[in-house]
Amino acid sequence: MIDANDAATAKKRRILILDDEPIVVKRLRPAFQKAGYDVETFTESEAALARFAEAPADIVITDLKMDGLDGMGFLEKVKAVSPTVGCIVITGFATLETAKESFHKGAFDFVAKPFKLADILDVVRRLETTLPGARHAG
Amino acid sequence: MGVLSGIRDAVCFWRRGKAPVPFVVLFKKFKSVLERNNRILTLMADMADKLGGEYVFDRRYIESACEELSDQVFKLVSDLSILDQGKNVELFAAFERIRQEMQDELAGRHRFPDTPPTLPLSALRADMGEAVGGKFAMLGELKNRLALPVPDGFVVTTGAFADFMAKNNLPEFIREQAKLLDLDEEKNIRGVSWAVTAHILAASIPRGLARSLAASLDELTERLGRAPEALALRSSAWDEDGETTFAGQYESVIGVAPTEIHTAFKKVVASLYSPEAWLYRRRRGFKEHEAVMAVGCQVMIDSRVSGALYTYAPMTEKEEGVFVSAAWGQCAPVVGGEIETDTFLLQRHSPFAATSRDIAQKTRQMVLTPGGGADFVPVPEELAGVSCLSEADLSLLGEAALTLEKYFKRPQDVEWTFDAAGRLYILQSRALVFSGRPEKRTGAIDAATSQAEAVFSGRGDVVQRGVAMGKVQVVQNEEDLDDFPFGAILVSRHTSPRYSRIMSRAQGILTDIGSPAGHMATVAREFRVPTIVGCGVATELLKTGDEITVDATQNVVYRGLIKELRFFELTEEDVYEDSYEYRLLRRLLKKITPLALVDPHSRDFAPASCRTYHDITRFIHEKSVAELIELSESGQGLLDAAAARLKTSLPLNLFIIDLDGEARGGMGEIEPAALASLPLSELLRGLDDSGMWSTEPVSVDMGSFMASLTRTYGPRDGATAKLGRNLAVVSREYMNLNLHLGYHFVLVDAYVGEVPADNSLYFRFLGGVTDFRRRARRAGCIGKILERSDFRVELHGDLVVGRIKSLDKEAMRAKLRLLGGLVGFTRQLDVRMSREGDAHCFAEEFLAAIKPVMEDIK
Repeated sequence: MIDANDAATAKKRRILILDDEPIVVKRLRPAFQKAGYDVETFTESEAALARFAEAPADIVITDLKMDGLDGMGFLEKVKAVSPTVGCIVITGFATLETAKESFHKGAFDFVAKPFKLADILDVVRRLETTLPGARHAG
Repeated sequence: MGVLSGIRDAVCFWRRGKAPVPFVVLFKKFKSVLERNNRILTLMADMADKLGGEYVFDRRYIESACEELSDQVFKLVSDLSILDQGKNVELFAAFERIRQEMQDELAGRHRFPDTPPTLPLSALRADMGEAVGGKFAMLGELKNRLALPVPDGFVVTTGAFADFMAKNNLPEFIREQAKLLDLDEEKNIRGVSWAVTAHILAASIPRGLARSLAASLDELTERLGRAPEALALRSSAWDEDGETTFAGQYESVIGVAPTEIHTAFKKVVASLYSPEAWLYRRRRGFKEHEAVMAVGCQVMIDSRVSGALYTYAPMTEKEEGVFVSAAWGQCAPVVGGEIETDTFLLQRHSPFAATSRDIAQKTRQMVLTPGGGADFVPVPEELAGVSCLSEADLSLLGEAALTLEKYFKRPQDVEWTFDAAGRLYILQSRALVFSGRPEKRTGAIDAATSQAEAVFSGRGDVVQRGVAMGKVQVVQNEEDLDDFPFGAILVSRHTSPRYSRIMSRAQGILTDIGSPAGHMATVAREFRVPTIVGCGVATELLKTGDEITVDATQNVVYRGLIKELRFFELTEEDVYEDSYEYRLLRRLLKKITPLALVDPHSRDFAPASCRTYHDITRFIHEKSVAELIELSESGQGLLDAAAARLKTSLPLNLFIIDLDGEARGGMGEIEPAALASLPLSELLRGLDDSGMWSTEPVSVDMGSFMASLTRTYGPRDGATAKLGRNLAVVSREYMNLNLHLGYHFVLVDAYVGEVPADNSLYFRFLGGVTDFRRRARRAGCIGKILERSDFRVELHGDLVVGRIKSLDKEAMRAKLRLLGGLVGFTRQLDVRMSREGDAHCFAEEFLAAIKPVMEDIK
């Protein structure tokens, strides 16, 4: 509890969450908000990308399989905009190949659905330790 | 032709009708049944877990989980059909029916339960929400199970609603109109809503429904002894009053004359498409096919005073209370906030004294008008400034409030009324939704729990998260369930599917032994009863009447009632329950997890009664165990396996058939040390080490001697007697042992592997040389020993059956040694049982003697 509050006041990280299934973003948004993050969620990759170009987030959590621009493509494009962004890929179609490709494209971790909220929070906290410590403007 | 078929019949009879399938094959199927049973229960538990709030899942997960589950259940049915050689083919039909229903649900084609167009309130139960909507399913439960007074009436089912819509081509029209909403929701909603509502109001009532409505009105008239003057037609939509609250969104039409019932029905249905309700559904991800409305029809009560209450006042963090608001006349304007009300805050315990009261100046009240309808009239001057509820009224309301909350395990928002004669009626009870921010109150919880005494913590497995607060009720046997008090916390040694009978009454469950993948766990999840199994020490540390708080989220049991924990739990926000996938998974689970086949001795324990995958799984598990015991006993199909005689100084004359083919000794004999079967080795070790196989002759008194002369083998003794030898069918993890020792018979069937949920032990003892009284005494003694050793025991005369399941490997080894000792101990025990008290003494003697034999295990 105390950790989360400290995180909230000291360095409120910005997270962008993209998943074409509303239930996923609906569940992740309050969980990350509760943990003290500044959260934006999207169900369409184009809209998420436009927003990212406008104001890059510190962390991106993206689904893999989506209509239009898929997770892999999205990952490439956000990395091009902001090379330091930390990326986590979540997917219900986990295979060794897609995992490999995600890491190759610069993902920090690869999480198979369904997962526990506590687990993804852990992954994000681990990811944070690798990010540049500078505070980002909201 | 006749002669030929006669010969064929005779030959078939001789061959017992079928060529036996090799026992090794059957045994493999049996093992496969055990493995699948475990896999299916785990899968079901996993799926139900996803509704618990800890996981993030999506549609893809639901689809793949259903697919895997269906696949496993189908293979389970196939396994049994080989094991029992096709005796239960109806299971395939049951499986296919359930699978098809799930397919329909996944494809968005909802199948409505098959019911008559209308159902009387007396026929409704809480689990009938699919057929009659959330509100009336609950009202039925209040009336029929809690015996709370509810105005008499009936309900138009969802099936009749679907029929009404379909016959008037309304679904197509609505789908077309909804396209306009997809274009511009805000701009088009008023026009679209108006068009749909107008179509519904102009639609015609199908003939079947009209007939059913008329018949229901006649029956109501008969029950009342007069024609009802006015009726109330109330919405009972899907998910209304469930996790999603549609409070106040749908219409209730009150004061309806019986002749106006068709119009009022259509008005309530049309309210499903009011702009507010429609937008509310769309924004919470409801699909069009999920808009389903049952309509309840109840007698209007000529109300003297009515109101609403919150069983758990949401304003108070430290002080708990029941909040009541009341006004003269009918309930509708109180709920609608249209008139001034008196308000009271009551204590949450008997006699529910008011801790504060605020009496308003009440100027208007709504009353029934003659010939139907209701209208506002002025409150008589002498009543305007006085409290409209007496102490006695408040006490009655308090009792009803707590009964409802305890039952539904969530705070309730209740509408009620008193009639002119002062009788209380409950009009509605739904979950009270808080919009608090519980995380801010964690400090108060820390303070409260750090002061409380933890009875135990971190023990066992959490089956269902949540907080339960109340008095302990220790349950030892099935009779204890008969008077299980409402709201108590069930504490017992074992989990048992029989507990599903009182699941709706229990606030929480703690057991010493049990698996989170067991049948009871699944039922506990279904009822959302906070449950921890495998605590080890619950029955030791807790006794009936103790007040405790079970935090099945943190896995701690506290002594005393910790209100802060409950407050935190009751005010938690559960937004995820608002999503389509959540509701879809929940609907699918209704076809998967509910368990109706509980008692294997009941007549309904049959394939045709299987309504869910859980039913099928439980049926097959029970049948396959029975089938294997029967097969081993009858000796059918054993000819292909080679038997070896066990080398031992004890006169056991035991032959062993090893299904793994490992235990072959030279010259058809096998040393005990060469046995690869864990269950048999442990049992023999118990028999040897305990030294209980007495070789000395027991002095037989005259009565016993005479009895032994007159006893002959009964028909069920045949198979073993004919063989003239004792038999064990074994594999590394399995043993089926039949012992015919003198005049009694022992059967032990055991499976002991690495997965505790698979493990089971079955022990049966029957017969004896002496008179019935002594034999029954011996049975009583064996029963006591088994009971003290955690077996579930059945006693019928001189027959003892003991069962134990789901223990880990080490614990099972200990039980097998105990049984080994018991086989030796009981051999001539009946002869020694001359006095009534002997059963008890010998049981104690045995338990003390066997202890060292089990000591090196663990």
